[in-house]
Amino acid sequence: MKISPEQQVDQSAKFAFSFFIASAGLWLLAAALLAYIAAAKLTDPLFLATWEAFTYGKIKVSQANAFVYGWGGNSIFAVSLWIIARLSQSPVRGSVFLIFAGAVWNLAITFGLLGILDGHMLGHELLEMPKQVWPALFISYLVISFLIFVVFRSRKEKITIAPQWFIIAALIWFPCLFLFGWSGLELNPGRGTLQSILSMWFGQNVIWLWLTPVALGCAYYIIPSVLNRPIDKYYLAIFGFWCIAALAPWSVVHHLEGGPVPMWVPAIGTVMSIAMVFPIAVASTNFHSTAFQDISRVWNYLPLRFVIFGTLSYTISSYIGVIFSLPAVAKLTQFSIINEFHFNQRVYGFFSMIIFGVVYHILPQITGREIGTTAKNFHFWTSALGVFALLLAYLIGGLTHGVLAQQPSLEWVKVIESVKPYFLITEYAFLILGFSQLVFVLNLWKVLVPNPFSSCDSNLQQKTA
Amino acid sequence: MNNIFKFSFYIFLTLSFAWLAFVVGAKNQYGDLDPTSQYLEENGSMPKDAELYPMSMPGIAQLGSKEYLSLGCVTCHTQQVRSEIAGFDVERGWGKRPSVPRDYILQEEVLLGHNRVGPDLTNVGLRDYSNEWLHKHLFMPNSIVEGSICQPSPFLYETIDEPASDSIETSINGEVTHIKPSIRANRVVAYLQALKQDYELPEIAFSEKTEEESSEVVESVVSASDENVTSFPTWLTAQMESGKEIYMKAAPGGGLCYTCHQPNGKGIPGQFPPLAGSDWVLGDKERLIKISIHGLMGEIVVNGVKYNNVMAPPGIPPGSLTDEQIADVLTYIRNEWGNSTSAVSPSEVASVRSTVQDRAPMQMWTAAELEKKYSSD
Repeated sequence: MKISPEQQVDQSAKFAFSFFIASAGLWLLAAALLAYIAAAKLTDPLFLATWEAFTYGKIKVSQANAFVYGWGGNSIFAVSLWIIARLSQSPVRGSVFLIFAGAVWNLAITFGLLGILDGHMLGHELLEMPKQVWPALFISYLVISFLIFVVFRSRKEKITIAPQWFIIAALIWFPCLFLFGWSGLELNPGRGTLQSILSMWFGQNVIWLWLTPVALGCAYYIIPSVLNRPIDKYYLAIFGFWCIAALAPWSVVHHLEGGPVPMWVPAIGTVMSIAMVFPIAVASTNFHSTAFQDISRVWNYLPLRFVIFGTLSYTISSYIGVIFSLPAVAKLTQFSIINEFHFNQRVYGFFSMIIFGVVYHILPQITGREIGTTAKNFHFWTSALGVFALLLAYLIGGLTHGVLAQQPSLEWVKVIESVKPYFLITEYAFLILGFSQLVFVLNLWKVLVPNPFSSCDSNLQQKTA
Repeated sequence: MNNIFKFSFYIFLTLSFAWLAFVVGAKNQYGDLDPTSQYLEENGSMPKDAELYPMSMPGIAQLGSKEYLSLGCVTCHTQQVRSEIAGFDVERGWGKRPSVPRDYILQEEVLLGHNRVGPDLTNVGLRDYSNEWLHKHLFMPNSIVEGSICQPSPFLYETIDEPASDSIETSINGEVTHIKPSIRANRVVAYLQALKQDYELPEIAFSEKTEEESSEVVESVVSASDENVTSFPTWLTAQMESGKEIYMKAAPGGGLCYTCHQPNGKGIPGQFPPLAGSDWVLGDKERLIKISIHGLMGEIVVNGVKYNNVMAPPGIPPGSLTDEQIADVLTYIRNEWGNSTSAVSPSEVASVRSTVQDRAPMQMWTAAELEKKYSSD
C-alpha cells in the first residue's frame, strides 16, 4: 500500500503527539479538580479547612500552574509538533527523546505542584513552583523545542506562513522569558518592588507570548486548511504578528497602575495595551472574514466550531481587556475578581477552545479513528455553557466588587458578601467545565487506546494486512 | 521571516527591549534606594540622629512573611496602597498615605499581590487589632468577622480542653473553645502586626483628610463646644467633657461614635442617622442605653427618614463601654449640638443592663424590637 507524504508525517508524529495530548488531558482534569476545590472553598470556607495542604491560596496557585504548564505546555508541544511537521512536510525525528523529555516535564510539574501544596511556594506569578524543579522543566523544554526546530529547519517549502511565525515565536519566547524572569527574581534578585515588576511582567507574558501565539497560529492554520480558501486580507497578518511581538511585552505591566513603582511603568503599559487594538483587529479580521464566507461549514465541522468560538472569545474579551486597562476603569476594577475574568477568558475561552478544536481535527488523521459526533457535540456545548457562565459571573461579579469597594463607608465584609452569589455561580461553572473536560479525556481515550476486544477494528486489520 | 536565525533574533530583540526598560531601566532609577529620615534638611541632608525609615521587621515577623507566603495569603490580599489618582485606598482608610518603592526595600519577600478578595494588609499593624483578635481570626475568621470568607487555619493551633496560660478563649458557633497558637501562628501574627507604613518619607507625606484633618475637626468641635460647656452646672460639665472625649476617641476606651454620626452630630444623609435634634436621642433613655450596650441593626426611622445600617455595640473593642462611660456619652449627645434634655446617670445604665443580662453580647437590637418594648411599657 502506498502511503502519501501526509500519512508519513502523521505516522512519524503519532507517538509523540499521542503522548503529549494524553498528558495534557490528564493535567486538564487535575486542573479542573483543583479549580472546583478552590471555587468551593470560596463559597464555603470550612470545606477541607482542616488540611493545611488545601488552603485556598495554594489550591488556586497550583490550579493556575497545572493549567498553564500541565495542560497548556503539553498541548502546545502536541499541536505545534504536528502543525510544524505538516507544514514542513517533513517527518518528526527523535520521538524517543521527545517522549523522554515530555516525561521529565510532567514529572517536574508534578513535583512542583506537590511542593506548592507542601508550602514551598515562591512569590512570583506563574513561577510559584519551587526552585528545584525549574532546571528540569527548562532543559526538557529545550529538548522538545529543539526537536520541533529540527523539523522546521528541514521543511520543503522555504517561504514561511503565519501559523509558523506564531508557533515558532512562541516556542522561542518562553525560554527567553524564563531566563529573564529567573535571572531577575532568583539568581540576582532586585530589591523591593523591582521584583514585583518583573514578576508581573513574566506572569502575564507567559499568557500573552506563549499560550496566545500558539492558539493564534493554530487558528491561522486550521481555518484556511479546512475551508480550503485563503485567509482574507492575509497581507495584514504579518503586521498583526509584529504588533504582538512589539507591544505585548510592554503592555502587560499596566496591572501595576497606582502601585509603588515608578509612574512610567504602568503608564507605558496602559498606552501599549490601548495600542493592542491593532493586532486584535487584524487577527479578528483575518479569522472572521474568512470563516464567515462559509459559515455553514464552520458550524457543521465541529473542530472549526471550537476554533471560531475561541477566536470570537479572543476578540471580544481582548477589547474588554483594553477597556479595563484604562486608568479611569482600572481605578475600580484593578484588584477585583475581574482579574479572574481576564485569566479564565484567555486560558479557557480562547486557548483551550482552540486547542480542543485542533486536537479533534488532528486525532482522526493520526489514528484513523473517528470520534463519535454526539460525544464531541456534548463536549462543545458543555464547554461553551461553562465558559459562558464562568466569564459572565466573573465579569459582573468583578464590576460589583470594584464599584462597592470604592465606597469607603461600606464595610469590607459587606462588599464581599455582595460578591458571594457570583462565587457560587463560578463554582457551578467549574463543575460543568470539569464535566466537559472529563468527556474530552474520555473521547481522547477512545481514540488513543483502541479496545483490544473489538475484533472488527478495521484500522488495525488494515495495518496488519 | 524565512531565516529562522534572523527571525529568532528579531523576536528576541522585541522581548529584550521591554525587559531592559522595565528591569534594567527601573533598577537604574531606584534600585539603590536606602532607608532615610522622615524629613530632609533644606540642603537635602538627613538631620542628625534622626530615625531612619523604613525599619526592618523583627526577626519573628520576617519568619512570619515566609509563612504568609507559604499559606498563599497573597492570593487574596494586596500589600499596596495605591496613589490617590489611581484608587480609593487612602479614602477607605487602608493607609495614611500611598505606598512608595522605598517602603519595600528591606523586605525579603515583596508580596504586593493583585487581588483583593480580602482587605489590603499594608497597614494591618496600625488597625489596633490585638494579637488575641488576630489569632482568633486566623483560627476561624468566621467566628469573629461574621460573613467573612477568609480561609480558616485551624492546623496552626492546638485545641485544648482546659484554659492554659498561653491559650486563647474563642467561641465557635457559641461554643467556647480554647486554642493554643503554634510557633508558626505566632510568626504570622507578628508579621501582620509589623505591617505598617506609619512614617513619612521625603518623597511622600501623609495624605490630608486622614489624621491631620480629622484631628483639626476634632479640635474645632472642641473649641466650639467649650463655650457651651461653660454654661452647664459643674457636675454636668464633667460628664459632658468625658462624654465628648468618648464620642471622639478612636482608641481603646473610646466610642468611635464620630466616624458615623460625624463630629457635628448630623450623621451622613442616607447612611447614618443624625443625633442632633433626633427623636430617638431626645426620647426614651432606656432605648438609648440598650442600643449603647448591644448596638442596633436594620431599618430605623429617625425624624421621619428611613435608615438601614449596622451599628456595632459602641466601644473599642465593641461593647466594652462601662456604665459610667455610657452615661457620659449619652448625656453628651443629649445636650450637644442644640440638644437639651435630661442627663443619664450610671445607675440608670446599670439598672437597664441588669434587665438585658441574658442577651448575647453581640446580638444587636432592631428598631422594631425596641419600639415594641417601649410602647407596651
